[in-house]
Amino acid sequence: MKCKECEMENIEGALFCEECGSKLEAASDMKDRAVESSGSGPALVFTSADGETLEIPAKDEVVIGREDPISEVFPDIDLTGLGGMEKGVSRTHAVIHRSGGDCTVEDMGSTNGTYVNKKRVQPHVPQAIKPGDEVRFGKLALALKAA
Amino acid sequence: MKNELNIKCILSKDALPAGSAEQAVYALVNIKPAGEACLTSMPANFGLVLDRSGSMDGEKMDHLKEAVGYVMDHLNDDDLVSITIFDDQVETLIPSQAARNREEIKSKLGTIIARGGTQISDGLKAGLEEVKKGLSKERVNRILLLTDGQTWDDEPACTELADQAGSQGIAITSIGIGQDWNEKLLLELSDRSRGNSHWIENPLAILDAFQQEVRSMQSVAATNLRVTARMGQGVKAVKVYSTVPMICDRTIAAVNSGNIVANLGALDGIKGQSLLIEARVQPAQTGTFRLGQVEVTYDVPSKAIKGQSIKTDLSVTFTDDAAAAAKVNAEVMNLVEKVSAFKLQTRALTEVMTGNIDGATKKLQSAATVLLDLGEDELAAAAETEIRSLKKTGALTTAGAKKLEYGTRKLTQQMTKAMVK
Repeated sequence: MKCKECEMENIEGALFCEECGSKLEAASDMKDRAVESSGSGPALVFTSADGETLEIPAKDEVVIGREDPISEVFPDIDLTGLGGMEKGVSRTHAVIHRSGGDCTVEDMGSTNGTYVNKKRVQPHVPQAIKPGDEVRFGKLALALKAA
Repeated sequence: MKNELNIKCILSKDALPAGSAEQAVYALVNIKPAGEACLTSMPANFGLVLDRSGSMDGEKMDHLKEAVGYVMDHLNDDDLVSITIFDDQVETLIPSQAARNREEIKSKLGTIIARGGTQISDGLKAGLEEVKKGLSKERVNRILLLTDGQTWDDEPACTELADQAGSQGIAITSIGIGQDWNEKLLLELSDRSRGNSHWIENPLAILDAFQQEVRSMQSVAATNLRVTARMGQGVKAVKVYSTVPMICDRTIAAVNSGNIVANLGALDGIKGQSLLIEARVQPAQTGTFRLGQVEVTYDVPSKAIKGQSIKTDLSVTFTDDAAAAAKVNAEVMNLVEKVSAFKLQTRALTEVMTGNIDGATKKLQSAATVLLDLGEDELAAAAETEIRSLKKTGALTTAGAKKLEYGTRKLTQQMTKAMVK
């Protein structure tokens, strides 16, 4: 059984990769869904493991986080409905920058980090993302897809 | 006759895919008392070995004296207690005696003055001698070693004493306070003697750790606990970990020719003990298949029970039903993930020691991801901090290394608020 993260060959029946600790069977589920559509183009959506779809607005900067009216934080994509609170999404967690067909995600110094394909991105350093990638905010994993 | 203990074995999968390649199976062995009946407290034979080096002065020493006072108030009259204090010199403050002399013993605590350096082996040796005076199978024999400093080139002597203690059924609970002590050594002393280990950042938590120790001694339900796993044909055990009371790799000591004999010391009747066994199974045709047998043996000295044994067979079904073979037991899965985080962290620290900073960084990165998946946000953040430290300085911070070592070992247990702070 090959680990989809580090390509290490693990024995059948192993639950976690011996090399990198990635979940072997469950991880493959998410990945498969994420690569279902690998088209490109400006219209993008995030889909959750439960099949929820969140449209990414067609603007240059899209703020992702958790709505908090008390501190007047209203992100463009509010992850509260997907369990953002329990899954450690910060109020202003990350920003998606879009320029033509290119797309990057920038972690805004969130408490629990932003991950692209299971690798944590440096805060405030935009990282290129493309349809087919898994983007994780805290513990909330979403698949980026072309709409 | 009703057994005093209950063993429950849970496999990672009840069904395995038939006819495929060799595969991994995990078995979780949970051992607990069968009821309240056997929680009759065994008398203790308790040796406190306490660091009084100069750096203990002030808050640490104040809280230590308070905690020893608590111990004296909560030991039973017939328990034996000794107090050995050490810096680079040793003093047997209280030779082994009945705890009923508590007022007199407590009055001597006032005479402890912090001074000098730290020489753990001399203190441990003298403390062990005191505990040996009252050594008995009818008692819970235990040493509590507390230090806040690095010892001076006597680590091998310390580990030898821990082996000696372990072989005589004396478990060492080691406690490190602050950041300037050797966590590898303290963990090794407890592993070798089948004891426990704690890291305390805040001196306030000394009392919590001592309270926990007294409670654990007074709730010992069985001694001489041993788990033997005899594997069937085509099955071999490859690894074994203790997961409760804390995660500890017992593979080297316990796995031999594909079978397991793990000596686990005393059973805390409240927490119990758990082992996680990883085995390899050869391919087989559809049908029921016997993996092997797990036997737990133990003594209950208060009931004159010796070498009592409970056996359980482990079997799985080999099936062509892919959906059934894909089902994984959630409890075992969670424990395997915790052990996986512990292993990644251990390997990262080993890579640091051998100078492979790049390898260490990768392992810590993986550990951080697993920890986050487990909901251990604080530990994941600690791993991230250490990754930054590694990239910047090529070394871990002393506090960070301790936090990861102790944090991942204790993923299976609850700690008091003061102890995690």
